[in-house]
Amino acid sequence: MQSESHEQLHLRRSRISDRWFMAGVYGATGLFVAIVAGLFVELYAGSSSSIHAFGFKFLTSSHWNPVTNQFGALPMIYGTVVSSLIAIVLAGFVGVFGAAYLVEFAPRAVARPLAFLIELLAAVPSVIFGLWGLFILAPVLRAYVEPFLQAKFGFLPIFQGFIFGSSLFTAGIVLAIMIVPTVSAITRDVIAAVAREHREASMALGATRWETMARVILPGATTGIFGACVLALGRALGETIATTMVIGNKPAIAASLFQPAYTLASVIANEFTEATSDLYVSALIELGLLLFVVSLAVNGIARVLTWTVLRPAKAR
Amino acid sequence: MKRVNVLGAALSFAALVVAPALAATQLTGAGSSFVNPFFSKAFYEYSAAHSDVTVNYQPIGSGGGIQQFTQRTVDFGASDVPMNADEIKRLPASAVQVPIALGGVAVTYNLPSFIKGGLKLTRETLADIYLGKIAKWNDPRLTKINPGAELPDAPIIVVHRSDGSGTTYIFTDFLSHVSGEWKSKVGTGKSVEWPAPSAVGGKGNDGVAGAVRQTSGSIGYVELAYVHENKMTQAQLQNAAGRFGFCTGRGVAAAAATKLNLTPTDFSIVDTKGETAWPIAGYTWAFMYREYQKPEEKSRAKMVRDVLEWTATSGQRIAGTLDYVPLPESVQEIAKKSLSEIKV
Amino acid sequence: MPAPYQFPYLVGGAETLARPASEPRPPSKMATDGLNVFYGQFHAIKHVTLSLPDRRVSALIGPSGCGKSTFLRALNRMHDLTPEARVEGSVTLDGTDIYGPGIDPVEVRHRIGMVFQRANPFPKSIFENVVFGPKVHGERRHRELIEICERSLVKAALWDEVKDRLNSSALGLSGGQQQRLCIARQLAVEPEVILMDEPASALDPLATAKIEDLIFALRRDYAVVIVTHSMQQAARVSDLTSFFLLGEMIETGPTAEVFTHPTDRRTEDYITGRFG
Ligand SMILES: Nc1ncnc2c1ncn2[C@@H]1O[C@H](COP(=O)(O)OP(=O)(O)OP(=O)(O)O)[C@@H](O)[C@H]1O
Ligand SMILES: [Mg+2]
Repeated sequence: MQSESHEQLHLRRSRISDRWFMAGVYGATGLFVAIVAGLFVELYAGSSSSIHAFGFKFLTSSHWNPVTNQFGALPMIYGTVVSSLIAIVLAGFVGVFGAAYLVEFAPRAVARPLAFLIELLAAVPSVIFGLWGLFILAPVLRAYVEPFLQAKFGFLPIFQGFIFGSSLFTAGIVLAIMIVPTVSAITRDVIAAVAREHREASMALGATRWETMARVILPGATTGIFGACVLALGRALGETIATTMVIGNKPAIAASLFQPAYTLASVIANEFTEATSDLYVSALIELGLLLFVVSLAVNGIARVLTWTVLRPAKAR
Repeated sequence: MKRVNVLGAALSFAALVVAPALAATQLTGAGSSFVNPFFSKAFYEYSAAHSDVTVNYQPIGSGGGIQQFTQRTVDFGASDVPMNADEIKRLPASAVQVPIALGGVAVTYNLPSFIKGGLKLTRETLADIYLGKIAKWNDPRLTKINPGAELPDAPIIVVHRSDGSGTTYIFTDFLSHVSGEWKSKVGTGKSVEWPAPSAVGGKGNDGVAGAVRQTSGSIGYVELAYVHENKMTQAQLQNAAGRFGFCTGRGVAAAAATKLNLTPTDFSIVDTKGETAWPIAGYTWAFMYREYQKPEEKSRAKMVRDVLEWTATSGQRIAGTLDYVPLPESVQEIAKKSLSEIKV
Repeated sequence: MPAPYQFPYLVGGAETLARPASEPRPPSKMATDGLNVFYGQFHAIKHVTLSLPDRRVSALIGPSGCGKSTFLRALNRMHDLTPEARVEGSVTLDGTDIYGPGIDPVEVRHRIGMVFQRANPFPKSIFENVVFGPKVHGERRHRELIEICERSLVKAALWDEVKDRLNSSALGLSGGQQQRLCIARQLAVEPEVILMDEPASALDPLATAKIEDLIFALRRDYAVVIVTHSMQQAARVSDLTSFFLLGEMIETGPTAEVFTHPTDRRTEDYITGRFG
């Protein structure tokens, strides 16, 4: 009798703690949603006078003129998206193959320090990347890399025109270096998590390490690698100071990657402190709103891609 | 009896320890980052001489300075451009604006071959370069004023500040004065829409200097102090009187001296007529409210006023050592007179 | 006092798979000579010399942790993938030392296949699983791949169950089907030796029986080495049995002999279930 009541008590207690746990989980989730929603509302409210004044034209106009209070964000949207795309393509390539090398091929004596070094990059403040990009990378790109690309692939519009040191290209590379640690660290974990048994199965069938990597491990890790890239892309989209220092800060859309450009975050960083008119401030906040929306959109597209492209591929 | 003595001793000891900390009132200001090096040194020296006051200045930018001043979260603000009518309308009370520092903006460039005596530019050619109308270094209008100089057949890369800044305001103010087309097409502002197709923006003086230094065929504008510190190549600019010259403290002072009736609404000292004047220069302004009511506010305001007055007069000697240009006597008088209008 | 022991697996002739009584002993396909395997400082396999005949099934038995898997993995250089493992001594395939200089471990694994304890199909379709090996080895012709796929699945006794869903995911198969798929996948690369590490340990009796039939059938074409914990299984499918204990090979011989007249006391103890 006594033991029975004891048991009941015990059961009930665990149920209560379950309830607390659930409350905690829902609370945290709710709070998170509330923060995001609050941020959106706040940005929307702050940009209302700009939205009212320019409407949809804000998205299609290429003029950013604080003197006449005419504002359009198209070049900044373009610069933000393209610089981040360059970054994610480069960082994705380097990060994934680097991670593959570190996990599967590098001798341990090399892999450990190299992995540590790469992850150390993540701890370097962005302003350092900006300075490095401006004073070391940009001159090298301008003197050697960009003329080379122009000579070899000059028929492509993206490599044409005058070569500036500060450009979309330079910004893309600096961003790529900044986000490589994110891609490579997560990819490393994901690759390591691909079951050892699949790896062994492939090797037992006479596949080389590279074949195993290319045909079993990477395909098995696509979803995770994709997630890593989306996370890294988020960082690239929002990066401010390093981009500002090397992108050339020019609100114009050019076909060539060697031309200066501008990003949403950079305009805000450059002009917010000195913006005094209400409409000007409001337009800057609307840029923030756009950055928010662009980030959400990129994440959304990435999600949809994971569902539609990667899922069936896995089952096939 | 003895006990009281002990207590008294303890109290006086406490007073001794606490006294300096209690007595020093901390005044706060915010705004222009351009004046920050000067303010830091000036306020440091002021506190050394007046142990009852310390000043905490936050260089958050002129816009931020005006905003904080409007919200009364700081004791004074500073801006590279005086507050305009709009901004003044938004203030909770009437304010006094005084010139507090003077600076020049120099033109710097980067060309592959050395030009003896430096590149020469007229006001019009500088404007047309920034308009994108003179797009190559070997443009006849440039070769004409630079006989003998080796000017390459290369595009001119126009470098400007990407961040909103008083420096840009002064520079575009100058261009608006010397070029009708600039005035109508671009205008004057801390940030403008740069018309030249080859324009590149650098963040801060460092950003502009870095871009110019690394880009052969580029031209840019930076604060005078920055040119000196970094030994950058300066261009000679023709002034309104037709004389070519470099940006120097003396040239800036000469420009300032031509404007005797300086007021917060008529403050421009670009393109002045002085014989030796450098044409791209401007003041930084400090501001505080005209009246204070509460006794506690009054005593604070009095300290602020004293600090600003000292900075605008005796403190100007420090400006010289930091490659700012000391305010001319006449302007120091204007500052003093404006400050004396404050009722505390 | 223990009752005199009888070998239940061998008396009931119906339970044992039919096997010609006295075949001439076939030549050895693989052999180890003084094989040692170390994991760091730990000496896991100690001086094992063993011959594995062609077209026969050799069973490795012994208590858990005695080194059966370690030995098996030494036979196709799987230890190359484990940084802390070190192999000494020789392992020969048709007389050639597979650890010798100039030997490509990938080629070794191509010729000596392995089936693992847990079925490990790739997260791909059934078809892609089977043709993985041939594709890796350069077979591009689709018609050829389809043929290989069918042939291997038939051999692995899986064809009838999956022929209508070759393009659906291999992960949708049952455990027993998955294991047979893994065997089919291995057969598709046409190895000469097939190593199996407890291939039926996770399966129910029916699935186990199917795998055992399969193993027995494989001996027509391959040298098969199988690690097992089940005495019945060893008795049913193997021609040769070797008993391992603490990294040493205690005894080896024709299965019937090892089970009926073990020469070593420890073998007898293990087989009769008196320890381990
Ligand atoms: N990677 C490794 N590192 C260190 N020691 C290992 C490693 N793998 C196996 N061992 C050790 O080597 C010995 C033999 O292991 P092995 O896996 O070969 O045993 P087994 O006979 O296959 O056992 P089981 O029947 O349980 O599968 C064990 O003591 C084990 O702990
Ligand atoms: Mg084992």
